[in-house]
Amino acid sequence: MRKLLTLTVLAMLTVLSTGCATLFGQDKQKVVYHINYNDEKQLNGALGNVKNHINAIGKDKIDVKVVMHGNGVDLLKVANTNLDMQQKVIGLKKDGVAFQVCNNTLKAKKISYKNDLFDVSEKDIVPSGVAEVANLQQKGYVYIKP
Amino acid sequence: MSQDKRFSDEFLNAFVDNQLAAEEKSQAFVEIGQDEALNRQVCELRKLHDLVQLAYSEPPAAPARAVGLNSRQARLRFGVAASVLLTLGIVLGSQIRMPATTPSVTAVPAAEIQQVARIASPTKPIQPKAAALADVADRVASQQTATAIPAAETTAVPVPVIARDAIPDNTTTKVLIHLARDDADQLSQALDDIESTLKHYRETRQSAHVEVVVNGKGLELVRIDTSAFAGRIQRLQREYDNLTFAACQNTIDRLAREQGIVVRLLPGVITIDSGMAEIMRRQNQGWTYLQV
Repeated sequence: MRKLLTLTVLAMLTVLSTGCATLFGQDKQKVVYHINYNDEKQLNGALGNVKNHINAIGKDKIDVKVVMHGNGVDLLKVANTNLDMQQKVIGLKKDGVAFQVCNNTLKAKKISYKNDLFDVSEKDIVPSGVAEVANLQQKGYVYIKP
Repeated sequence: MSQDKRFSDEFLNAFVDNQLAAEEKSQAFVEIGQDEALNRQVCELRKLHDLVQLAYSEPPAAPARAVGLNSRQARLRFGVAASVLLTLGIVLGSQIRMPATTPSVTAVPAAEIQQVARIASPTKPIQPKAAALADVADRVASQQTATAIPAAETTAVPVPVIARDAIPDNTTTKVLIHLARDDADQLSQALDDIESTLKHYRETRQSAHVEVVVNGKGLELVRIDTSAFAGRIQRLQREYDNLTFAACQNTIDRLAREQGIVVRLLPGVITIDSGMAEIMRRQNQGWTYLQV
């Protein structure tokens, strides 16, 4: 009788801890921000949204990707000359935000990521911006279009 | 009367359980001794009481023994076992979680990612809700058109919805692209995005289905008399059989109601009850969503 009780409790503990590790474990909130416009006011607002989001959750508890395609790639073009925008991008990168650029757009608009965009390296290039947003959603990222 | 009340079952039980005050008890003894029937009743109760006592006497005694002798050892053993299982549980839990957090883009087939996604997200229980919502939306839509369209045609409306649901299976990446603007520049860019996405999936040999939902101002893209991109849309439709353009019936109805416009859609463009309902439905079905 006592053994059975003990076993039951132990089994419940296992299940509980499994569930806890699964649910809360090392899990971060995963978010993809989608940017495909180049209006500077809108871009500033979007970066402000991302910053506020990180502040609200805590930078260690969130995994943010900003995916840019089409006109959205201009964000990093503007950041080359607009120092305010540049500071925002630098600050967000320090918080762990990944800025991803669509290769289709680079090809179509003949943009050189090395010369024309602010602080972009090869690892920041994704083949297709739209496909990347879809892919991230399939991996559990929540979609936000600011 | 007072006697009846006094010798209620409750009172007798209290008597047998020895829970009466001393004065009450002694008086009860006297009265029970004088009453034959009452005496028998108390006897029965006492017998029952003893039986219950007997039945429960074993288990409570056991822990007492355990505490007395081996309690420390037993507790230690329990603690060790518990911590081992706790660790096992945490490791197991994080292992289960792994595929969802770090699926590599190339190594994990889409089917597996989707399976994990389906386990992780409660799409199943939500679906009936979405279905109910769609039902309501359909009913509203059919009510709106019921006066103009004969019954046979209104019942035909849900058919394409079912047919469309049957196309994409679990190994297919399903992307819903929402267009709600009429700005020519933006629409041109949106069509670029749609085309390059389809091309990407074709080149990487991924099974995918793209549904473009147009509502509000976006509807102009697929109207015969307003579309600036009719040729391009038709070319895309010919080139990619995994592309669907879906127009919002609510918007079409609104244009008819408010501006007297009879909307004629480009060939191959289907209608859906409501753009918003479609977006929610599709997301509940595991589709990814983008607004361009």
